[in-house]
Order: sequence, then C-alpha cells, then structure tokens
Amino acid sequence: MSMQNTKPVALSLRDVHKSFGEAHIIRGVNLELTEGERHAIIGPNGAGKSTVFHLISGQFKPSSGEIKLGQQVISGLAPEKINHLGLARSFQITNIFPKLSVYENLRLGVMQRFGLQFNLWRPIAGFAKVRELTEQLLEQVRLTRHRDTLGGELSYSEQRSLEIGMTLASDPKVILLDEPMAGMSREETDYTAELLRELSVGRSLMIVEHDMDVVFSLCDRISVLVYGQVIATDTPENIRNNKQVQEAYLGTEVAA
Amino acid sequence: MTTMNNSLDKPVAAPVLAAKPAGAPMLAKILLAALLLLLLAMPGFLSTSLVNAAIQMLIMALFASAFNVLAGQGGMLSFGHAAYFGIGAFATLHAMNAVSGQGLLPTPLLPVFGAIGGAITGLVAGWFSSKRSGVYFSMITLALAELLHALAPHLKSVFGGESGVPSMRMPAWGFTFGTPVEVYYLTLAWVVASLALLFFFTRTPLGRLTLGLRENAHRLKFLGYNVHMARVMVFVISATFTGIAGGLLAMSNEAANYSVFEVRLSSEVVLNSYIGGVGVFFGPALGAAVMTFFGYAVSDLTRSWLLYQGIIFVAVMMFMPNGLSGIVAWWRASKFTGATKLGYVLAWSVGTLLCAAGVVFIVELLQRMLSDDYQFQLVQGQPWPALNLFGQAWLPGAVVTWLLPVALLAIGGVVLKLTSARWQALNDGEAQ
Repeated sequence: MSMQNTKPVALSLRDVHKSFGEAHIIRGVNLELTEGERHAIIGPNGAGKSTVFHLISGQFKPSSGEIKLGQQVISGLAPEKINHLGLARSFQITNIFPKLSVYENLRLGVMQRFGLQFNLWRPIAGFAKVRELTEQLLEQVRLTRHRDTLGGELSYSEQRSLEIGMTLASDPKVILLDEPMAGMSREETDYTAELLRELSVGRSLMIVEHDMDVVFSLCDRISVLVYGQVIATDTPENIRNNKQVQEAYLGTEVAA
Repeated sequence: MTTMNNSLDKPVAAPVLAAKPAGAPMLAKILLAALLLLLLAMPGFLSTSLVNAAIQMLIMALFASAFNVLAGQGGMLSFGHAAYFGIGAFATLHAMNAVSGQGLLPTPLLPVFGAIGGAITGLVAGWFSSKRSGVYFSMITLALAELLHALAPHLKSVFGGESGVPSMRMPAWGFTFGTPVEVYYLTLAWVVASLALLFFFTRTPLGRLTLGLRENAHRLKFLGYNVHMARVMVFVISATFTGIAGGLLAMSNEAANYSVFEVRLSSEVVLNSYIGGVGVFFGPALGAAVMTFFGYAVSDLTRSWLLYQGIIFVAVMMFMPNGLSGIVAWWRASKFTGATKLGYVLAWSVGTLLCAAGVVFIVELLQRMLSDDYQFQLVQGQPWPALNLFGQAWLPGAVVTWLLPVALLAIGGVVLKLTSARWQALNDGEAQ
C-alpha cells in the first residue's frame, strides 16, 4: 500500500456530495486514481456509479466537495473545459454520431486536439496530422475496414469500440469508461478487455463495469460504491476477501 | 496482416471526405458547369419578365441554401429567417442611399452591407436562441422574428413605414444597372460566389463540426467542444448569407418595406428547403428555384397558389421525405438498370400528374363556386349556373363535373398504388 502513496495522483475526489432535490444520491465519496492505474468502481444498481462519472466529467456539478485532475480543481467546470485539461469519458448508453461515418466520428474527436473548432478557411482534408491520427485511431480500435460505414449501422459491439475510440481521440491522460462491456457476448467482452489493456497503457483508467471477470483481471484496484459512499478501495485480491464488501455487494450478487 | 496492409495504403488512396458517398463526382461537376453556362446564357433568350423571375429564383435559392446551413446541416430549425433576410435588405438599401454607389463602395459591392446586417442580427439572435435546442430553439427564433415584425412598422426612420425605404441603383464599373439583364448578372455573380463559399464551408473543420451539432451535440461537449459557441458561429454564417440574399432582393426591387419581416417569408424558406431536400447541399436551392418558378408561373392563373404550395409540401413530406433531391440519392442507391428505374419514374410521374390534375380541378371549381362574383349570380330556387373553367362551361349540378376530377384522382391513385406495389415486389424478389 505504501507504494501507491508515492505515485502521483491523476484524479481525486474529496468528500463529494450530490443531491437532486431531496434525494441525496452521492453522500461523501472519496476516491483516488493514481497515474497509470486501472481502477474499477463496482457496486449494486443505483449505488451512484454513473452519477460519480457525471460529476467528474462535468455533466453535473457536485453539491459540495472537491474534484481534482492532477493538481487542478475541476469540480463544477464545463465538460469541454474538463476535456481540455485531459480527461475524457465514454457513456453507458452508446453515444456516437449515428449518421456520420466511423471515420468522421473519430475525426471530430481528433480535430479538437488541434483547436480547429472555429476554423472555416481551410478544408479539413488539408490537415495531414488530423488524417494521420484518425487513421491510427481507426486501426487501434480495429475499425479500419468500417471507416466509411455509418456509425449507426455498426454492430453493437463495434459501436462500443467506436465509443472507446472517440473517448481516446482527444488523447486524454485520464479516461472514464462507463460499462464498456454492457450487453456484450463473452467473446466480445474478452476482445474489448484486450483492447482496453492495450489502449490504457500510459493513461489512467477508471471503469464502471458489472462483469466481475473483467474487473478482477483488468484492474489494479477496485472501489466499492454502495448507497453513494465508497465502502472499500483495495486490490482485487483483498476486495474479494473483504467481509463488508461480500455482505454489501458480492454476496448478494452471487446469491442472485 | 491484411489490416496492416490496408492501413498503410489507405491514407493515400482513400477519399478524404469519408462522409460523402463516393460516386460520380465527375458527372456532378459536368452538370454544375452546364448549369452555370445555362444560367450565363439565359438572358439571351428569355423575356424581361422571365429574367425578373430568374432573379427571384436565384435570390430564393441563396436564401434557402443559407437557411439550410442552420437547419439541414446544423440541425437547428429556424422559424424566423425572414428577420435576417429583411435586415439584410434594409441594410443594403440604407447603404445604397448613403454612399449612392460612389467611392470605394460602388453599387455591385453593396450587398456586403446585407451580409454585415445579417451577421450582427444573427449574432444577437443566435446567442439567445442557441442556448436552447430543438423546439425551444425554433420557438425563440420565431419569437425574435415576430418581435422585429411587430416593431418594424413603428420604427419609421429605419424601416420607412408603409411606403418603405426606396432607393436607386447607381451606375458603376461601366454598367448602368438600369436593366433587368444587368441586375440578373449582378445577382448571379453574388449567388454563385455565395453558394461556392457555403459549399467550401461544408469542407472546413467548422463545417464538419456543424454536422456533429445536428447528430449529437451532447457528445461534442465531452469531446471538448464549446457547443454554444459553435452553434452561434453556425447561426451567424447562416444569417450572413441570408442577409446577402435580402440585400440582393433590395437591389433588384430598389425598395423594401416592413412586409419582408412577415412570417410568411420565414415559412416559405422552410417549405422550399424541405421540398428540395435538406440532406443534399443543392437540395434547398433546387426546391426554392422550382417553387419560386411555380409561384411566378401560376400566380397569374390562380388565386390558390398558397394552397397548392401547402399541398405540395404535405405530399412531398409524406411520400418523398428526402425531398426532390432525394430522387438522385434513390437513383444512385438502387441497383436496377437505368431503363427499369426510368420506367418506374415515368409511371410514378403519370400517376402524380393525374392526381394533381384532379386536385387542381376540384380546387379551382370550388374556388370559383365560392367566389363572391359567382354567389351574387345565384337565384333562389334556380339551379346554379354554369361556370367557366379551362375554357369549358361546367354545371355545378351535373354529375360529370364532379365525376371527371374524381376519376382523375382515382386513376392516378391506382397507377401510383400499382407502380409502388410492383416496385416493392421487385425489391423483395431481389432481396431473396
């Protein structure tokens, strides 16, 4: 454990709360993602896992508490600002540009890196670097042969790959993936797990996932979120043997 | 290994615009060049009134294309584009009066003021309206345009009250700009240059981002884009070119009054664009040109042009939701031979024309029967007298008067139904 303390922190949440009206959904979450780490958040349905991602990525503002990306406070910033600071996320429900080609989906992500948002005097085709990086990304998520297919016409698992590719397009230091394997078959899950292992090299990854095989084999540490609070953060081995966790989550999951 | 090879030669060989279906770009270029030549040659063999109609068609085509940047490409349906068109018109008129075509700003350059007027109004309106999306966006654009419409009659110093703001085209660069033909070429130059710029825009990073705004603005935020700023930019570009179109109308008419702000113009550009098809760059321009020409050709013959416009819109939306330009996409996408497709197109056209004839007959009959002139001729207890339509006398009480249009509609309907059924069967057969 002492080793982890020496590593620089990529992302941290300090006593983060979020209420929607009367409903107190996130009740004091503390989390730490160290650089280069693969960190899973698990927990029963309704524990607030996706809400935590929404808070980190700027979709929601926390009611109180502090979120830091490296040394920079990001709580309450707009999503695009947080993205500029080096954090990108994927979505639980596939969130792509369905009527644009796969290539265009990725290029929109890559383009942003070069600050081309308001460029209207040069054709996009003239930016060799954008093209090169987009092709590279296509290759990385293994969608090169679908480059001209519309995003909405891909198979479900290919759309999930595209979603991951779009998340990587801005070359983020920290990636949040919200249930990347949801609804996938066994083979597709294995394939995606392999993809994640490759793509997360040199980055810090936080992942919400229900597939315990993936979580326990892929991740360095696991945090267990129950009723808006983190009840444990530890290595997969220790989480598996943690009595409290077993009672709160794993036990019920196994029983069910 | 194969994927590796692919990735190595793909960047060189692949078409750069992946989103565009690669197909017959050469043919498109030839067609465009032919169209441009035709437009250049047209005044040589057209009557003055047709040249005037052509000017209107060009202006409306530019208006629809500018509108489509926002609606078709950016997914923001504006119901208030008359505002930017009108501001462009008045800005140009005031510029014409102020500088009277002298000095650095000769007459041909004055629509620039339309662009500036449109851009500034678009910036303000776009800033507020694009804070919301979907229906709320549309409602705000409608409300802002109506605000201007309500305000304009009271601002006599700016919009000239009922009589409007008159002006004169001054000679410049050796042209008098006194004849419709000169105005036609001036309009053509502006419209062609504007459309070229708008087309170029679709190829730029912001142009690509515009499609992203339409498809999924929420996702763009998490890709690092300031969505509100992007929307405002797209709005300003659309309003700028709309302002140019307004400026061209002002130059052509040498006057405008507050009626240019009427909601009718806002809705006309929506209808024209969707009839032409918002999914294709030249679709809205095509729709606007066709509908403006129809309006010109038919408005002398009938008082029900607006009704026909509405019927055409409903029919296109119901049976060809991709608009007139959707036919091109359909032609390309279908695998059958040209002759087969042409046969179906002809059959559908015949059916449509028969139905149209039936509808026109009924509408014109009713319109004449319900007119005051005719109603005054009626005598209590006497059969309704014959009325004149298409050079024939028709008795409203006679069966044949009503049987004819109904038969036309029925035959047309059957032709359409049978053709569609056969087309369906042909495709089903192919699929198996």
